[in-house]
This record gives sequence, C-alpha cells and structure tokens, in this order.
Amino acid sequence: MMTLVIGGSGSGKSAYAENCLIQMAEGKKKYYLATMQVLDEEGQKRIERHRRLRSGKGFLTIEQPTAVQNALTKMEAGEKTALLECISNLTANEMFAGGKIWSGKSVADRIIRGIEQLKAQLSHLVIVGNNVFEDGMLYDETTMEYIRTMGSIQTALVDLADEVVEVVAGIPIVHKGQEV
Amino acid sequence: MKLIIGGYAQGKLNYVLKRLSSRSYQVWDGEIPEQPKQMKTDLDTLVIINHFSCWVRKCIEKGGCPEEEIICFLECYPDVVIISDEIGCGIVPMEAFEREYRERTGRLLTELAERAEEVERVICGIGQRIK
Repeated sequence: MMTLVIGGSGSGKSAYAENCLIQMAEGKKKYYLATMQVLDEEGQKRIERHRRLRSGKGFLTIEQPTAVQNALTKMEAGEKTALLECISNLTANEMFAGGKIWSGKSVADRIIRGIEQLKAQLSHLVIVGNNVFEDGMLYDETTMEYIRTMGSIQTALVDLADEVVEVVAGIPIVHKGQEV
Repeated sequence: MKLIIGGYAQGKLNYVLKRLSSRSYQVWDGEIPEQPKQMKTDLDTLVIINHFSCWVRKCIEKGGCPEEEIICFLECYPDVVIISDEIGCGIVPMEAFEREYRERTGRLLTELAERAEEVERVICGIGQRIK
C-alpha cells in the first residue's frame, strides 16, 4: 500500500503524512526516511522543527539523501512501514550527486526504481511530494530541468500509489483512492 | 470567519462579492483595520480582507508579528472574510526573506483554515468548498 501526499510550502503536508502513517502502521515499525542534507543554519532549524513534530510518535529515523532503496538494508526484519520525505530534496540530491549534474531522465529512473523497491518491501509507504509547479516563473535551464523531472517523478508515483492526497492549508483533498 | 484561497488572479474577490446578496461590505486591500474595536459600531457591514498574503508580507517587513496580529483582529471581529493567494506552490526562493514569507504565509493559512467555519478554494473563478 502506498500513499502520495503533495502540497505547497507550509501547507501542513508533513503533519498530515505523519498522521497518515501512524494510523496505518498499527503497531508495525515506522521508519522515517530523511532526505534533507544540512547545508546551513536554516536547514538545521527546518530539520529540528520536523524532529519536534515527529518526537514521541515512535519513528525510527534513517538518513537517506540518495538511493532510497538502500534504507531497506538498515531496517529490521519483519513487517514495517515508512515515511519518505521528500521528493524535492531527493530529486535535488540525486540530480547534483557527486558534484555532477545528472540528466533528469536518469534521476527520475533511479528514484522511481528505488521507490518501487521500497513499496515492494513495506506494508505501507507514505511519500511526501511537493507542488513546485505553480509560481509561473522562468528559471535557468537546470532549474527548469529540475521542475520537469519533479513533474515526471510525481506523475509516475501517482500511478504507483493507491492513494493520492493533496494538502491545502492543512485540509486534505483526495485525488486518488480513499482517504484514511 | 470564512477563508478563500487560490492562485493569483483567479477571481477570488469577485467570487465573494457575487455571493453577497444585498449585504453592505467594505474591502480592505492588503491591510487589516488597525482599530478593529471601533468598527463594531456597524456590525451589519461585512469586512472583507483582500490580498491577505500582501498584508503578511508588509507586516513581516515592518518587523511585526502577523500570527499575533491577525488572531487579535479576529477576536475583535470574528465575522470576516479573508481572501488570500496561495503562494507555496513553487520553487524554493533564493532569498531568505522570500522563503520566510512563503513559509509563514503557508502556516498562517493553515491556522486560519483550522479556525474558519468555511474554507473555499477558487480556481479560474470556480469555487470548491474544502471545509
């Protein structure tokens, strides 16, 4: 079972995604796959805010900035669930991995294959995606390639997902499947 | 309180005005009345705050606290319509201030949605009741 949660900045999508996994985990292990790399103090604060939100909810954190399928080797045997947060960081990390710029196609293929492996091994997977598509701005070619890649990844994830929920001002809007 | 959200230029204000029937109203554009208590003299008039996100920007620029100010305003004047652009659906801005503005506006709208009796999302002039 896989749920994709999308939304804009500050929309409350993370809090929704956490609660979604907590409801579905039913006592199974809950892993939090963290993709964000700390580059500065602002990033550190962002991570701390997310940790505060998660604290006391029983998540086991795995830092996995690239190659998300490798998180499976860090998990214990038995039934388990995971929250992968988020596609925008993961896409940026994969696109600029090792100081190179990888093509959008190769990045999308890697990420989608990784997520397929996660989905196959977990009883429930919740993925936080991001709506980065609606500011109407024209950016440099690398950023445009990044936006297109995010779009192709999330479109593919919608096909893989059993449920797709958009969070708007904290309110869930179901686009695919049934809300839990 | 009613909250109307949607993208830029989606006809949000018109959407609200068309549904007002004959009630008198006043539109505050990118600002909130500074002395809400004085406005209680005319309770029949509906107060509409348009371009709420612009007010948030100005408030942060002035070093104010939009989170506290809007709650304070709503306590004095609970029967109000707040219209705001949704600004969080884009690429993370390069400038720290823009990131802060975007994030705080998103969280504020989430807080307002929580308090609102009704939330509508307007796309191309079409409203969708989401709460």
